[in-house]
Amino acid sequence: MKPEIRGFWTGSAARVATTGKTVVEPKPDRPLRPFSAYAALIFSVALLAALGAFLSLAVSGIQRAGECLHLNRASWQEMASSGFSAPPASLDSRSLPDAWHAAALPLSLHAAAPANAHRTIWVRLLVTGPQSVTESLALYGARLKTDGSIALYVNGKLVYRGQQRGQQWNSLFTPLWVPLEPSVSEAPVREILIRLEHSAQYPVAVSSLWLGPTDALRGRYQTRQWLQQGLPAMLNAAFLAVGIFALFVWFKRKHESGYLLFFNLAVIAFAAHLHYYVDLPIANGWFGWLVVNSLCWLLTVVHFFLRLLHRRSLRWLSRGMIAVPVLIGVATLPLPWALPNTQFMLAIIYALELMMAMVVGLVGGICTWRSSREGRLVVVAIAVCVLLGVSDWMMHNNVASPEGWFLGAYTNGITFIFFCLLMYRRYMHALEEVERVNASLAERLRLREAELEQSHQRLREIEQRQLLSDERQRLMQDMHDGLGSTLISAIRSVEQGRMGDTEVSQILKDCMDDLKLAIDSMEPVEADLLLLLATLRFRLEPRMEGANVALIWDVGELPPLDWLDPSSALNILRIVQESVANILRHTRATVIRVATTAESAGVQVIIEDNGQGFDVATALWRSSGRGLQNQQRRAQAIDGRVDWKSGDTGTRFTLWLPLQRGN
Amino acid sequence: MELPDTGATPPFIHVAIVEDDLGFRRALTEAIESAQDIRLAGIAGTRAEGLRLLLSAPVDVLLVDLGLPDGSGIDVIKAAVQQWSSCSVMVATNFGDETHVIRSIEAGASGYLLKDSSPAKIVDEIRSLASGGSPISPIIARQVLARFRQVGAGGASQPVAPGETPQLLSAREKEVLELITKGFTAPEIARLMSLSPFTVRSFVRRIYSKLNVTSKAEAIYEARNQGILDG
Repeated sequence: MKPEIRGFWTGSAARVATTGKTVVEPKPDRPLRPFSAYAALIFSVALLAALGAFLSLAVSGIQRAGECLHLNRASWQEMASSGFSAPPASLDSRSLPDAWHAAALPLSLHAAAPANAHRTIWVRLLVTGPQSVTESLALYGARLKTDGSIALYVNGKLVYRGQQRGQQWNSLFTPLWVPLEPSVSEAPVREILIRLEHSAQYPVAVSSLWLGPTDALRGRYQTRQWLQQGLPAMLNAAFLAVGIFALFVWFKRKHESGYLLFFNLAVIAFAAHLHYYVDLPIANGWFGWLVVNSLCWLLTVVHFFLRLLHRRSLRWLSRGMIAVPVLIGVATLPLPWALPNTQFMLAIIYALELMMAMVVGLVGGICTWRSSREGRLVVVAIAVCVLLGVSDWMMHNNVASPEGWFLGAYTNGITFIFFCLLMYRRYMHALEEVERVNASLAERLRLREAELEQSHQRLREIEQRQLLSDERQRLMQDMHDGLGSTLISAIRSVEQGRMGDTEVSQILKDCMDDLKLAIDSMEPVEADLLLLLATLRFRLEPRMEGANVALIWDVGELPPLDWLDPSSALNILRIVQESVANILRHTRATVIRVATTAESAGVQVIIEDNGQGFDVATALWRSSGRGLQNQQRRAQAIDGRVDWKSGDTGTRFTLWLPLQRGN
Repeated sequence: MELPDTGATPPFIHVAIVEDDLGFRRALTEAIESAQDIRLAGIAGTRAEGLRLLLSAPVDVLLVDLGLPDGSGIDVIKAAVQQWSSCSVMVATNFGDETHVIRSIEAGASGYLLKDSSPAKIVDEIRSLASGGSPISPIIARQVLARFRQVGAGGASQPVAPGETPQLLSAREKEVLELITKGFTAPEIARLMSLSPFTVRSFVRRIYSKLNVTSKAEAIYEARNQGILDG
């Protein structure tokens, strides 16, 4: 089995669901509630049943069966003739030889005469019952079976001629229906004479006849006509339609050859059963060739179908199934140089085809019985079709009553119904599979989401830990630089006794301020530099008051600084703190002014004092000017700048900060 | 804080403390003893003792520490607001602990005292509180503003019943808070808004009590939402 012919028609229906590119979550339409659903079902079924009952009652005329005469007694005789001839317009039965054999109808005759002879059979029916003469009458019979012409005389007058060009393909399946002309039916019908020409070997048969008012009989005629031809034709057409549907499916899904095979099956079956409906004469060579061969092709296609189901290659059988139809096709070509189309030939071909059918059915049955329920279905269908074929053979050869049915017309319907059953199973299976796959997909998605969530959580934890560690690093650095070193020098001074209590207390207060700033820097200020400065002022206020320095708070609105995170906040706090501390420590200022201004690209924090000032360049160079250098370093760390302008009347310190920071 | 010069001896400010930190208790005791006008009326070291303290005669200022060995000082604050309605409650806190301050104010406290304050500062704060003022810091101002912004945003859909209406800040109250977040001090704000410095501090007291009412209203609303109370 090649992989490309797996799919819908093989056992792996799951592939159908999974090979689809997108699996759409089934979005069910609003389903009918059970009550409404049952109501709809009951309504539809009741409608069909009522229609069926009405139509059958309307057409059957069964209620008027009493007005019809069932003619089932007849007498017959057979004559040799030199060939087929046209029937005379009127004929007196007394002019025929008085060699009648009485018989009951239906009558089946078996060929006895030697080949190549032509013969005429006369059947005479005497009508004795009472008849209505006011209504138009009709004559109805299941069939008159002969390969020559048919003529029907009522009271000696010719009223019907059939098969004038010989037997037609659909003759056997078309019931006899002869409306009697008013001129004929004026007088009561007394005698019906049937003239049947036939070749010697042809098994002639005559069914019983019905005589009665046209309206009363039409139902019988139409029912038989519909069941023998109409219904099978409908099924045939439906089969072809579904086949064409399958073809279009195959166009889109070329890897699933099952659809193409189904189309083949439908087309061949249509061709094989066309002869039930066309009124071409049987002598037509190419059509006959088609009828004989299409049955053969049908079996081949069924074989390949079965192979698709049981997935065994059966190479030799497959080759045989191709070779035999080719051979038969060539042998039966209606060309001058081909083999003659004889009854014997036909028998051999039909025997071959029957054998093929049995082999296909048997091998298919053996291969699929265990593995594939669908294969079993197909094999059962084949068996049923063979049985129907046998019934046809019995009808053809007068083994069965001539009033019986040519059930072979239904083989197509059977095939169609069985394959529909197959498709139905597949379709339901595929739907369930899609639902199952979707459910498992949803489950997988859920698991995946949970997994993702978990890994996200983990990542966040790692990030959090990293953040914490960074923060600790920063604080440690700051403590080490400020608090730590101040405390160490204080301890050293205290140990060496160089420091008084007030000094120690002052140093400890400085440390406390340092600590407070570090903690303030972690307060979320939401990009608000003013809030940061306000906090700083709030912390420094007590010391300012202690130093007797007036603070002029001259700040104005500032645009938000989105980059203001705890680490930059601490840098800013330290810069400003250092600046104020320098003023308090080294100048004799009495007023400190803190102001802010906003520029296009940044903001400025200005700290002015009225102290004695200092030489900025020298201060930066001196080792004791580490404070200024620290301020520079911290400003650079946050992409800012510091600047001093110092004179005799005071110092102006400026911290410039950008509105936006790179990276 | 200037005391009104009445000529007669001003009434004492009675203070009680609920605090387990002995160091701070001692600092506080010493600071109070140094002041002429303040008397220490009671000391409790635990939450249970604090609650028992509330059964005695009310004092003017109650100082509560939040981290008591047997529970939260918040309970004591709530009980004090109920039982000593005339008393101003003050929470003792360490620096950088603004969240706890806000929670205490929501529970009914009117002020806070930083534990590392100098004795003079401690005495000042007690006097200011007793006379109807409340302290504030830029960070607390920012947080109070944020709390009222939440109330303002969600307030429309909340149930309105007398006594539990979430209250909104007046324009002037809001202005005071905004100036505080910009770093201005009470005297500066008074000058900017043409008020007396004391008025600014009593503004703050009013803002705190609004926060207290609002948080109560929210608690009731929450409780109703969760079906704890019958609507």
